[in-house]
Amino acid sequence: MPDIENDRLTFKLVYYGPAQSGKTTNLMRLHDLLAPELKGEMMTLETQGDRTLFFDLLPLGFRAASGLLVKLRLFTVPGQVAHDGTRKAVLSRADGVVFVADSQKTQEINNAESFKNLAENAARVGLDFQRLPLVVQFNKRDLPAIVSEDEVRARWSGAVSWPLTFAMALTGEGVRETFDALLRAVFRRFADELELERRHGLDEAAFVAGLLGGGAAT
Amino acid sequence: MTGAFDREFTLAEILPAAMLETLGTALANLLDADLAVLDAGGDVLWGRAPADASREAFVLEIEPLGYLASAASPDRLRAAAVLLRQMLVARARYLMACDLHTDAIAADWQALLERNQALAASEARYKALSEELEQRVQDQVRLLDERTRQLYQAEKLASVGQLAAGVAHEINNPIGFVRSNIASFGGYLEKFAALKARLAEGQAAWKDLDLDFVIEDGAEIVKDSLEGVDRVARIVRDLRGFSNVDRPEEEIVDLNDSLREAMSVFSGRLPPGVELRQAFSALPRIPCLPGHLNQVFLHLIENAVQAVADTGKPGTVTVSSRPAEGGIEIAVTDTGVGMSSAQQARAFEPFYTTRPVGSGTGLGLTVARGIVQAHDGRISIDSQPGSGATITLFLPA
Ligand SMILES: Nc1nc2c(ncn2[C@@H]2O[C@H](COP(=O)(O)OP(=O)(O)OP(=O)(O)O)[C@@H](O)[C@H]2O)c(=O)[nH]1
Ligand SMILES: [Mg+2]
Repeated sequence: MPDIENDRLTFKLVYYGPAQSGKTTNLMRLHDLLAPELKGEMMTLETQGDRTLFFDLLPLGFRAASGLLVKLRLFTVPGQVAHDGTRKAVLSRADGVVFVADSQKTQEINNAESFKNLAENAARVGLDFQRLPLVVQFNKRDLPAIVSEDEVRARWSGAVSWPLTFAMALTGEGVRETFDALLRAVFRRFADELELERRHGLDEAAFVAGLLGGGAAT
Repeated sequence: MTGAFDREFTLAEILPAAMLETLGTALANLLDADLAVLDAGGDVLWGRAPADASREAFVLEIEPLGYLASAASPDRLRAAAVLLRQMLVARARYLMACDLHTDAIAADWQALLERNQALAASEARYKALSEELEQRVQDQVRLLDERTRQLYQAEKLASVGQLAAGVAHEINNPIGFVRSNIASFGGYLEKFAALKARLAEGQAAWKDLDLDFVIEDGAEIVKDSLEGVDRVARIVRDLRGFSNVDRPEEEIVDLNDSLREAMSVFSGRLPPGVELRQAFSALPRIPCLPGHLNQVFLHLIENAVQAVADTGKPGTVTVSSRPAEGGIEIAVTDTGVGMSSAQQARAFEPFYTTRPVGSGTGLGLTVARGIVQAHDGRISIDSQPGSGATITLFLPA
């Protein structure tokens, strides 16, 4: 749960998922695609080839009409199974999560295990997984041997139905939409507690527009 | 320097005083002007700035982390801010990596502890299970022991019954003919009583009463009866060995001495053509009941000698001894008639004998086995019909 301190509100959002599913690529595309008032450099903390060893960090922000500075810090976790300690540490204190799944049929087991790992680690770091703003993105839709959208929808329309998005992070398609869905989920989860509308005049549309930036339509 | 890796750093946190001093001095020298480093709130952290100083912000993420204040030219000041920012980014990355590493290690450690606890729990479960199993095995063993004991008792009863039946049969036989002999002998005595009244008739009466036959047959009857009684006595003697009525003390002896003693009994009594040989190795002295073992040796040698004699050809009986793993081994080997496997299978049964009635009680091997087993030893037969036999004893040291 983020705090408002000195007119600053910081959300921590985490891109989670199996190794090589495209988390880092999502962040790189967001860095290119988004045009909020404030946009930092993307900080990549050590990689091995294109595999994240620690995390990537992209800071974004905008100032609301009330003067409140809304900051977003987007992180990626290392997807490789061996880095579970790091993954758990990065997930700590997350206010929202994008789960990036790899659409390839060969990756179904990895997706499932990583998702289970997300739920377990969320519990370990004290996050209420049922209430955690979460968007599930099926990435790499450009590849040939992928699970069909219908199948994905059928499989993921369980008791809790998280927003599902389909993306090609490599080209940027669906990356913004995924982020948009997460912003809305985060807003809905915290707006009341933080009195964003009442005290800061910040509604969902303004919140999302401020972070997507560039006067972009949603 | 500990805390969440993702906390937002202040300038003072990223650049401790000593580092700020070094960097600030170097930057001031490069600018060739007075320089102050201010934090995000505008407070001076280091240096001093003239009143006409201009400010240049440096941004780490999206907000100014602090400002440089100096009267140096704006271009130079901007360059100094860029330089300082690069230092800050490198430092921030380093600090984040350190803190994340600490968090990750803590998380891994926690995971290890959890796994360890799970292992300890499962170990405890296994221990409980194994104790339970152990208990069940013990119960089972106790039950089996009891069953075995019952079985053993049943078998013992059966063999006692068998023994009793055998004894009855074996003793009945001689008693039967001894009785009839004595009855006949009573008839003969009556004839002599009748002779008394007819003494005057002399020879004629003697002849008439057929007393020549009476005397001859009477002697035969007496001899027969004595043999029968002896036979009963022998059975009783063997039975005493079998039932261990008298329990002597254990002694520690060299069994070669006992074997020599047993063999000496046969000197001068061997049937023609039978040779008795000894092949002893030095033996460790063992605790045993020498009197009982002597009885075993005597019986085995007697049996072997008889088996050779039964062939009607010359042959040998060899008594050998040697130390063996955990004890000693004694063997009696003969070149006698041998035994079929059916005979071997029954050889230890009480009253089983292949010999004609009257030559033995059939208790010899049974008694021998009982005695060897009482010594925790083993007895075995190796034989083939027509090619002799070896009886081997193992006695533990
Ligand atoms: N074909 C295709 N490849 C993609 C797509 N998105 C990412 N990739 C590729 O997949 C590989 C892994 O992408 P990353 O973004 O580094 O994956 P990651 O999830 O950060 O992986 P880790 O850091 O190891 O957890 C790279 O070679 C990307 O170019 C996509 O939409 N289509
Ligand atoms: Mg990555």
